[in-house]
Amino acid sequence: MQEKEELQAKITELDRTIKMLVRRDFELSGIKEKREVELKELDHIAKLLIRRDLELTQTREKRENEFQKLEERTKELEESKEALLNILEDVEEEKKRTEDEKNKTEAIIKNFADGLLLLEEEKITIFNPKAEEIFGLKEEEVKEKIIWALEGNEKIAPLVALFKAEKSRLFRKELSLREDLIVEVSTTAVLREGEELGNIVIFHDITREKFVERMKTEFVAIAAHQLRTPLSAVKWILRMFLDGDMGQISETQSQFLQKTYESNERMINLVNDLLNVARIEEGRFLQKMQECDMADILLETVGTFKEEAEKKGLSFSCVLPSKKLPKVSVDKEKIIMAIQNIIENAIFYTKSGGISLSVDYLPQKNEFMVKVQDTGIGIPENQKVRIFSRFFRGGTALKTETEGSGLGLFIAKNIVEAHGGKIWFDSQEGKGTTFYFTLPANGIASKNLK
Amino acid sequence: MKIKKILILEDEEIILDLLSKKLAEQGYEVKTARNGKEGMFMMEKEIPDLVLTDVVMPEKNGFDVISEMKQNELLKNVPIIIISNSGQPVEIDKAKELGVSDWVIKTEFDPQEIIQKVNKVLTRAIHPPEAD
Repeated sequence: MQEKEELQAKITELDRTIKMLVRRDFELSGIKEKREVELKELDHIAKLLIRRDLELTQTREKRENEFQKLEERTKELEESKEALLNILEDVEEEKKRTEDEKNKTEAIIKNFADGLLLLEEEKITIFNPKAEEIFGLKEEEVKEKIIWALEGNEKIAPLVALFKAEKSRLFRKELSLREDLIVEVSTTAVLREGEELGNIVIFHDITREKFVERMKTEFVAIAAHQLRTPLSAVKWILRMFLDGDMGQISETQSQFLQKTYESNERMINLVNDLLNVARIEEGRFLQKMQECDMADILLETVGTFKEEAEKKGLSFSCVLPSKKLPKVSVDKEKIIMAIQNIIENAIFYTKSGGISLSVDYLPQKNEFMVKVQDTGIGIPENQKVRIFSRFFRGGTALKTETEGSGLGLFIAKNIVEAHGGKIWFDSQEGKGTTFYFTLPANGIASKNLK
Repeated sequence: MKIKKILILEDEEIILDLLSKKLAEQGYEVKTARNGKEGMFMMEKEIPDLVLTDVVMPEKNGFDVISEMKQNELLKNVPIIIISNSGQPVEIDKAKELGVSDWVIKTEFDPQEIIQKVNKVLTRAIHPPEAD
């Protein structure tokens, strides 16, 4: 029994051992399974890792690429920056140049010998130091002010008045600011691409010039006037001798005295011409305007010339229109003088044939045209331009005659132009000359009246 | 008929002599003065029937003489003829406005003309014009 028990015990133990073994085996297989799972996981992880590594490598490559690109971009940027800096530098330079230019312009304006004012939309924007000196005003007192607002300022009022009187913004006028200060005011438009920005007004001091001019004119006037006194005394004495007031004189004496008288007359005419030129230069030539009939003026002018021409064997005709002419306002004595001067020349330079004088009214132009035609020696081509010059005398006249001042046509031209007319001529050497002049029928340029 | 008295104011001797001679021949009593001052003095002493005066003269010029005459009750109606070297239309107009009867330009002198002018003025002065 014991044995059995022992066996039993052994079997039990064996069974237990087997069971334990089975269990262990089971456990082992579990572990194995687990391990496998773990291995799988590991494998998975490894794969993941590998992939990540790959990705990382790729990323790094990419990154490197990008970095390179970035570097390139940076370089580009740097270059751009440099370029930009260059541009900036250029701009800076340009700005400096502009600034320099502006400074230069300002310096020029500041140091300009003439007064200068810039008017923009009626506002004074520049008033240079010379202008300050001329008007006795500081730039601050007028700058940015509308010119009309300065009317009450007596220092600049004459200029404002001048601007008011001038219809156009473009003119050249003398302006007397003080007894001892005369300026010439001239204006120009400031244009930029055809657009008017304003007006530059220049003040040029002409006090001295005016003074010298006046002195010269006064000298001529006084000299001529002084010459007239002895000339008239000589004339009076000769006249009285010739009239027999100083006793009986012989035929020969009378002839000589007559010649002396004529010479004296020429001298008087010359002096009168000089006085007229002085008056023309003073700008106070036209004096007495009156309503006239041109036909009457012509008839009055013709007077003595007909006889004079006939004495030379020349014909003399005066053609007047059949219709009544409109009246015209002229300085009658001066117009007569102009026509006389032209006729005198015509007679002088005509050896045969005749002189014909006519007047016409041209309704389409509303002007008169006076024509003096001769069959004289004509004007040589090379002398044509100088015909109206002061002291000009035709070549032939210089060689053969002593008469004439060379002022006749100069005076005639000034008379016609002062009336707002034009004077010209046609001439053919050997055939004759025709002088024409026009006079506007409705009033004249009043600027010539003083 | 009473002899008419003419006073000539002129600084140019020759002209003064010639004018005196011409006018005396016409039967006028002629007095002369060499400048405006002397002329005024003579006029105040004896009122003339006509004054012939130059413009440019020493001491006192012709226009000053005229304005003094116009302010003097006794002299303001004495007719005046100017004899001058000059003779611009405006000058002549201005003189006529001052009441000057006529103007003679010396360089255009014609003896007949001056006598006519003097005669005309003096005749008019005897018979004051009703409508002139």
